[in-house]
Amino acid sequence: MSEDTSIIITAVVTAELNTATAGLLGAGQRLAKETGGEHIVLTSGGSDSEFAAKVKEHADHVITFDSEDLANNQPEAWLNTISVVSSQKKPSAILLGNDTLSQEITPRLAHRLGGASSGDAQAVSANGDTILVTRSVYGGKAEAEIELTASPAVVWVRAQSMEPAETQPTSGTIVAGDVDASSDIRNKLIETHAEEAEGERLEDAQIIVSGGRGLGGPEPFEELVALAKVLKAQNAASRAACDLGWVPHSWQVGQTGRKVAPQLYLAVAISGASQHMMGIADSKAIAAINTDPDAPIFKHCQFGLVEDYQNVIGPLKTKLAELL
Amino acid sequence: MNSAEATREVLWNISYGWIMYVLLLPTAAIGAYGVWKRYKSWKQGLPAEGRLDNPGKRLKYLWNHALLQRRNLRQRYAGIFHAMIFWGFITLTIATTVVMIDHDFGIPIMRGAFYLYFQSLFVDVLGLLALVGVVLAGYRRWKSKPGRLLYTDEASWILIIGGVILGTGFLLEGWRIVVTNDPWGAWSPVGYATGALFAQFLSNETLAQLHLWCWWFHLVLVFGFLAWAPFTKMLHPLTSALNIYSANLEPIGASLKTIDFDTAESFGVNSLNQFTWKDLLDLDACTECGRCTDACPANTVGKELSPRDIILDLRGWLHKGTDGEFSLIGSSEALESDRLFECTSCAACVDACPVSIEQLPKIVDMRRFQVMEEADYPETMQAAVNSMEERQHPYSGSQFSRTDWMQELDIPHASETDDAEVLVWAGCGTSLVERNQKSIRSLAHLLKKADVKFSVLGRDEKCTGDVARRIGNEFLFESLAKENIENFKKHNVKKVITACPHCFNTFKNEYPQLGADFETVHHSEFLGELLKGGRLKITEASERKITFHDPCYLSRHNGITEEPRELLDGISNEPMTELPRNRKNSFCCGGGGGMSFVDEPSDKRVNHERAKEILATDADTVAVGCPFCTTMMEDGINATKGDKKIEVKELAELLNEVTD
Amino acid sequence: MNILVCLKQILDPEVPVRDFAIDSSGLQADPACANQVTNIFCENALESALQLKDLHGGKITVISLGPESVEDSLRKGLAMKADEPFMIVNNNGLLPDSAAVAKVLATAIRKMEPFDLILTGRESGDWGAGQTGGILAEELGLPFTAFIDEVSPEGDDRLILRQQTDSGWQKFSAPKPAVASITNSDHNLPRIPKTRDIIMANRKPLTTWTLEDLEISAEALSSNQYKARVRKLSIPESKSECEFIEGDTTEEKIQKLADKIAAIARAV
Repeated sequence: MSEDTSIIITAVVTAELNTATAGLLGAGQRLAKETGGEHIVLTSGGSDSEFAAKVKEHADHVITFDSEDLANNQPEAWLNTISVVSSQKKPSAILLGNDTLSQEITPRLAHRLGGASSGDAQAVSANGDTILVTRSVYGGKAEAEIELTASPAVVWVRAQSMEPAETQPTSGTIVAGDVDASSDIRNKLIETHAEEAEGERLEDAQIIVSGGRGLGGPEPFEELVALAKVLKAQNAASRAACDLGWVPHSWQVGQTGRKVAPQLYLAVAISGASQHMMGIADSKAIAAINTDPDAPIFKHCQFGLVEDYQNVIGPLKTKLAELL
Repeated sequence: MNSAEATREVLWNISYGWIMYVLLLPTAAIGAYGVWKRYKSWKQGLPAEGRLDNPGKRLKYLWNHALLQRRNLRQRYAGIFHAMIFWGFITLTIATTVVMIDHDFGIPIMRGAFYLYFQSLFVDVLGLLALVGVVLAGYRRWKSKPGRLLYTDEASWILIIGGVILGTGFLLEGWRIVVTNDPWGAWSPVGYATGALFAQFLSNETLAQLHLWCWWFHLVLVFGFLAWAPFTKMLHPLTSALNIYSANLEPIGASLKTIDFDTAESFGVNSLNQFTWKDLLDLDACTECGRCTDACPANTVGKELSPRDIILDLRGWLHKGTDGEFSLIGSSEALESDRLFECTSCAACVDACPVSIEQLPKIVDMRRFQVMEEADYPETMQAAVNSMEERQHPYSGSQFSRTDWMQELDIPHASETDDAEVLVWAGCGTSLVERNQKSIRSLAHLLKKADVKFSVLGRDEKCTGDVARRIGNEFLFESLAKENIENFKKHNVKKVITACPHCFNTFKNEYPQLGADFETVHHSEFLGELLKGGRLKITEASERKITFHDPCYLSRHNGITEEPRELLDGISNEPMTELPRNRKNSFCCGGGGGMSFVDEPSDKRVNHERAKEILATDADTVAVGCPFCTTMMEDGINATKGDKKIEVKELAELLNEVTD
Repeated sequence: MNILVCLKQILDPEVPVRDFAIDSSGLQADPACANQVTNIFCENALESALQLKDLHGGKITVISLGPESVEDSLRKGLAMKADEPFMIVNNNGLLPDSAAVAKVLATAIRKMEPFDLILTGRESGDWGAGQTGGILAEELGLPFTAFIDEVSPEGDDRLILRQQTDSGWQKFSAPKPAVASITNSDHNLPRIPKTRDIIMANRKPLTTWTLEDLEISAEALSSNQYKARVRKLSIPESKSECEFIEGDTTEEKIQKLADKIAAIARAV
């Protein structure tokens, strides 16, 4: 490629095709189109892997790295790999997803490459030589447009909220990458513990039933779990309910919790503080059940019911069971 | 015989009567030692300002509440029998003194009409009353056994000994009358009848013999009792009187002490020598009556807090002579930290106490230690305190701004106007809790209707610090207070109206301790004045059947009970219904003392308890005068009202409805 | 253990929506619209450090960059029993970007005694960029882990860092010195300072540096040098109109709600 062609690198650290990956690839694809550049995807696994085969439908080039450290999510292995590749390819932007690893290496990567970094981008676009990022700030009270003036712009995006990648007319190439990912790992991942996740991740859930402080304790959440079952939905909670120990921390949605983008987010006894709204702003539809008609949540809802949840959840579950 | 010569022979039938004087010595020595021990233990306390000043006022207070037993008589049965015993024994003591003056000092006063009417008749009647009182007391202690009493052997013996002293007294009198054939005997009707009864069966010789034995028995019993008394709760005639004399004569709302943080060695109290001498005297004034615990709203709904047991357990440590190293908090069940933090600071305990013990300030003193020295207190209260530190209001998580209630009301800020008559102070509980915004909007409408020029401080309001002070963070309270006082000075604020009794109390009684100099009025007072002055007119009274829930911080803490009632009388055509527990006897809504910020267990909610009382009346409206009461009672009533139609309305809302 | 905790003072995140305003530059929140408070994650970081000190001894230094008001955050840190405070005064009107902040902090840190562990909050409650810790580590040439909720020593030379992940947690073994950003957990709620400690903290000496002291020119921190530059800041209008479900009976309302939810569920 000529030196004038810009390159967009998308680093997909988890070799799984899910909503988040699709969104991340979509972001990379669109940015590359905008800049008239090439879209290169970095991922782990062999060049003959199923995942690589799927990804090439959405990228110009796929570079896979068959490394145990990368497959095992050693962050510094990814940091080194992307860094080496980027020094060679000199991309104008590097996009990553919103998983823990990507969030952690984004600032480090930018600094190593002399570039600029940003996180939690809800939109990324090109602005001549620079990259523009749109993100929610001040706990959801404001929206900022930030220009990343140094190159490469390293950005982790709110992947699952982004439009998925389209299938390209011509598939890209797959190449096996050649980087010693395992050299110079100072922080070693030594133990992983995954909680038993029932069903899909919140970030991928299409329907979410969520509860807040207004439920007053852990027991009412059991009703919400039953309701979610009927809807084949996932459960979530506001930070208050998690901090009070009523539900696991992994249920927390909001500024410092999960960011979700379901088709429907049902908020039960949640007031709708801006920090919580930051986590659900990308939902296609928000509905709320709350005794307070002036609760802020209603300003963000498509529909809602002003009623005590105790009077609603049981009958609602029954009726939904009939309808579905 | 000439009645002017009426008298009796003292020490009749008693030889070796001088032994009595000898026995007086050990009695006095032991008794004095007992009193001295107590006095010494009070002296370890810190100074208490202003408790011995104004002797004229204090003597009057003593007269009313010690001698006339006014507060004690609030509980009819116990008050009456105690008065009978008390006045009876006072009378008998005077009678004995008369004997001493006449017999030992040779001043012939026990003669003639005085002897007949007072020494014989009056004393006999009072003695009988005392005996009847003992019987009534005995019935209560051993038969009906109300829960609030302490059932100790000591208390039973005191009663028995008192009764025996009285009984033997009448026996002695009666037997003397018979054997001496006293011509004036009938002037002592009880003694006379007693003597006559025994004379039916026993000869004079026998009676004289009985009299001799019984006289010494009576003497030893009385002297023994006097020597023993200072080591029991029978010290209370002395200590209760002293305590009532040195009572807090200021409003209850002014009774918390300030701390000099630069010099204080300890913040709050965790050992006896950190209390004041008055606090320690309080402990010895306690007669174990239990009225404080009975009145306590936390205790009433089943929580563990017991003001009586706090006092008695502290008294126990006082008597054991614990030193400055001994940690009081947690030293017994009643002194567990958890229990201290169940208190709503309603002061029902202080108000109920017949002997002027101040339980509430001690609870706050110990809270201060937990909060400021140990940083160990309930998490929800910590969150409220943290919020007051960070954003000067306790409502962490509130979506509201202090100016929300003013939207579209066009009210000038204090800095924008020079001719405002008053400053309207909204307070955190009113401006940051949506339900209460309606109340203050109503107040604003009323003031506009009356053409009152007023201003507000809007976002420049900072929490008065009441919540911080009651939780026990005196440091934060003082820093908030100083900031507010500065701000008021800066804006030249002279008169403040507030609809929140907590803000009202803090401004009126507590800010002056820190240098404030402005007038504060509760809105019920101000609105009343507007009506009386014709600036506000009720155009059409409503038909609401209203009852009034007196806010603790107005009624008990500040003695304001009639102004809200005057307003309500005008507001509705229907006569007001009084709740059983009204005015100073009002039952707390449960919101004070930082408790608004605590999640109570669902079966122990103070507001539900009060709601039940309200629902038992025929009222369709319960009027409130405080933002905490408003939300607490709405929650409580909504949770318990079932089908009954009843609303909670703030005073300003009600008045606004009936004025144009 | 020698620990450095970086504290950031920010506009109160609980500022009510109605009070929140953007200043005349149009590029940051109006500092007058609410109080300044210490970022909660920075307090979690300090709490983590204090717990390490309680168990293993050592010294905790706290540092903050900003206008003179950041002294309040440092003094609160001292009240919680941090040992030594440093303040770098910067009265630049606009918020410096994370890379610039990291550079300044790194310059200061190189003048201080060596640390075993450097902690930041995972992100700040105002801009929530979450970049400073990682860039700071790179500036100092040190390894970095994010979202840590537990730190413990591993022998003399290494640390075990527990990281919160989407699905649970993981543990890293890192060489000293290490940099980590801390997230909140049940175990690092910031301790309430005792009043006596607050009073003592107000009397302790505070080392204050200016940018000149660090030999950083004001030019270097001017906005046209920023790597991440705010171009626009706006308050989004709440656009949705909520349909409040009505009905004669509660049952009717619940039925309508169920219908609406079912319609969406079927389409999924």
